[in-house]
Amino acid sequence: MTVPSSTLILVEDVSKRYLTSSGPVSALDDVSLRVDAGEFCTLIGPSGCGKSTLLGMIGGLVTPDRGRILIDDRPVSGPDPRRVAPVFQDAGLFPWRTTVENVEFGLELQGVSRERRRQVATELLGPLGLSAFAAKYPRELSGGMRQRVAIGRALALDTKILLMDEPFGALDEQTRVLMGEWLLDIWRRTRKTVIFVTHSLHEALALSTRVVVMTARPGRIKSILPLSLPYPREMESPELVTLRAKLWGEIREESLRAMGEQARTAS
Amino acid sequence: MPSPAWSSAGRGGGRNDGAARAQRRLVKRARIVGLQLVSILVALVAWEVAARGGWVDPLFVPAPSAVVAAFGRIGAAALRALGDTLVKAGIAYGIAVVLGVGAGLALGSARRLRDVLNPFVIGVYGIPKILVLPWIVLLLGFGAAPAIVYGTIQAFFPILLIVMGSVRDVDATLLTVARSYGARPWQLYWKVILPAIVPAVLAGMRLGIVFCLLGVLIVEMFAGVRGMGYVMGSLANGFRAAELFAVTGLVSAASIAIVLTLDVLNDRLAHWRG
Amino acid sequence: MRVLAARVVIVVALLVVWELAARAWNPLLAVPPSVVPPALIDLLMLRSYPDLPRHLLVTVREIAVAYVLAVAAGLGCGFALGLYRTLGRVYAPILAALYAVPAVVWYPSLMLFFGLDSASKIAFGFLLGFFPITLAVLAGIRQVSGGLLTVARAFGAGPVTTFRLVMVPSMLFTLVGGLRAGLALTVIGVIVGEVLGSKAGVGALINHAYGLLRTTDYVALVLVTLALVVTSDALASVVERRARRWAE
Repeated sequence: MTVPSSTLILVEDVSKRYLTSSGPVSALDDVSLRVDAGEFCTLIGPSGCGKSTLLGMIGGLVTPDRGRILIDDRPVSGPDPRRVAPVFQDAGLFPWRTTVENVEFGLELQGVSRERRRQVATELLGPLGLSAFAAKYPRELSGGMRQRVAIGRALALDTKILLMDEPFGALDEQTRVLMGEWLLDIWRRTRKTVIFVTHSLHEALALSTRVVVMTARPGRIKSILPLSLPYPREMESPELVTLRAKLWGEIREESLRAMGEQARTAS
Repeated sequence: MPSPAWSSAGRGGGRNDGAARAQRRLVKRARIVGLQLVSILVALVAWEVAARGGWVDPLFVPAPSAVVAAFGRIGAAALRALGDTLVKAGIAYGIAVVLGVGAGLALGSARRLRDVLNPFVIGVYGIPKILVLPWIVLLLGFGAAPAIVYGTIQAFFPILLIVMGSVRDVDATLLTVARSYGARPWQLYWKVILPAIVPAVLAGMRLGIVFCLLGVLIVEMFAGVRGMGYVMGSLANGFRAAELFAVTGLVSAASIAIVLTLDVLNDRLAHWRG
Repeated sequence: MRVLAARVVIVVALLVVWELAARAWNPLLAVPPSVVPPALIDLLMLRSYPDLPRHLLVTVREIAVAYVLAVAAGLGCGFALGLYRTLGRVYAPILAALYAVPAVVWYPSLMLFFGLDSASKIAFGFLLGFFPITLAVLAGIRQVSGGLLTVARAFGAGPVTTFRLVMVPSMLFTLVGGLRAGLALTVIGVIVGEVLGSKAGVGALINHAYGLLRTTDYVALVLVTLALVVTSDALASVVERRARRWAE
């Protein structure tokens, strides 16, 4: 089967089941997705829809029970820091490392020389807005700053692909919006392929080139919404307002279903 | 591309605010230390008065002045004995730390091993070590060996348990992050687990030194021929209260000094904790 | 099940290795496991030490008295230092510093003052048990949620009521844990005191057996003492569970 040459990530009929105390739970059911290079692809859906699981599979941390994932035509068999760099919701910074030491972590694992990785990390601090905090420890940084360090750590690897699992989820609303703008700026300059998981409609609409809506458990792809509007997006424009209504309509249905299931399993 | 506008805002307030707050804290601390010193002084004076006035039998409770005088008399010998004890405790400590941290790492990371051995560890830990002391002395005789072995045993278990617990409690997110950045197993140990458990290891080591000293002193009191414990036991048997008090003070001061040093080291090495 | 099997294998293997090694090297000193059961029976039938019950009673009495004193002083000191902030800030560090001293350092002075009788063991057991109780009270007070105290004040509760209805239940868990640790340490203190030199009590018997190289009797005595220790801790944990249930 030939695949268009710009396809970077190919998810083929992927399924995943987890065994919980209340029986087997199907997280993902026959999911297929194609992501082209340079896309900002957002996965959105209610809790439990498997979006984080899917991200974990692309990042090589989770193995699908069925199906496979190809990156650059190569099957994914584990974490691949040369191609894929992750950012988690919990920034996951090492508390005993300073900002610059945290940013250079990935390079350190790959055996890059101390001078070189220090140089790369320090240069990144500028666009991250953290130059003044290079020697600070995570406990001295605010939530937004920590997330920026985590993103910097991912950017330092200079991979083609960036995976972001609700990176701004723990931040307050205003910070989220500003961080989104900043991320957009970085993305447009570096031309990476970003797969972004979020709950936020605002983020999905403001940042993505494509929005993938997932169903409630078991997770399948419900619909895909391409967004070819120019950046930065006019969130109040009529097109976006219509798109938001459309998106919300899709998500709302799934959210209700997810809530209903929660109520059922809780009772 | 310019940095984001909000990037210069961080934790902490303006400069003046910080300096004023630091000064107030210093004054508060000075006041507390002052009260502590005054209390100790008052207690010493009251003690002296009580001893001189005959309210307490000077045979059993000598006056502070007598204690100081006694210290002058036996100071040199006491310091030698203290040195003896500290050397033994030091050796026992070294062994206990190496074994305790090693075993703690092993048990903490190997879930199967831990599941099987856990009740044994807890069981043996629950046995009052004093009960095996006579047996150790029977096996190893009098001298340095039983003291070192017993000191090691006393310190080994707290260190083991603390390190084991800390390895188990390493934040799972950090391990996931490291793995997703391509860390191999030895890198997980070296770059995540070991740095993460440093505060706990230091806490265990701080606890361990007190236990080590305790163990060595007990053996010296029970069956020693040298060392501070033996000296204290002999002084007690000889009813030389002033000398005994002097020597007790010396050992206490030494112990407090050692622990304080470890505390400072602790702060220095684990300052990232906050 | 595999875990249980592994444990059984380990225990059996240890016993076998010990038996063989002890017999090969020095059965008197190394005490092979096989000599323990007959020695234990001898002890329990009061053949090896006919006045074992008297000594056990002495030890138990010492533990009881020492513990009651430790609890009284520990709670008193703990609450005094914890509730009166200035007192606490001045004297709690002194207490913490004393905690850095190995407790056995005080024992010779106690022996000089009280002699070889029960009094010195009670005093030592008291000293050992006092610290964890006081520290537990302090820790318990510290972790009472400020929010709850504010709520109590907002509803017009006076200091005594607040203490009874908010503080005590909040800190009960920590407190009971400290009381339990205090008992364990008191027991150890009393036994250490007895072993280091006394005329009565199980520790004295252990010392006696050791001195006469009656190693089998010594092991039997150790096992009996262990039973005492385990029983006291089991009692404590029952009380702890009862207290927890009452608090909820």
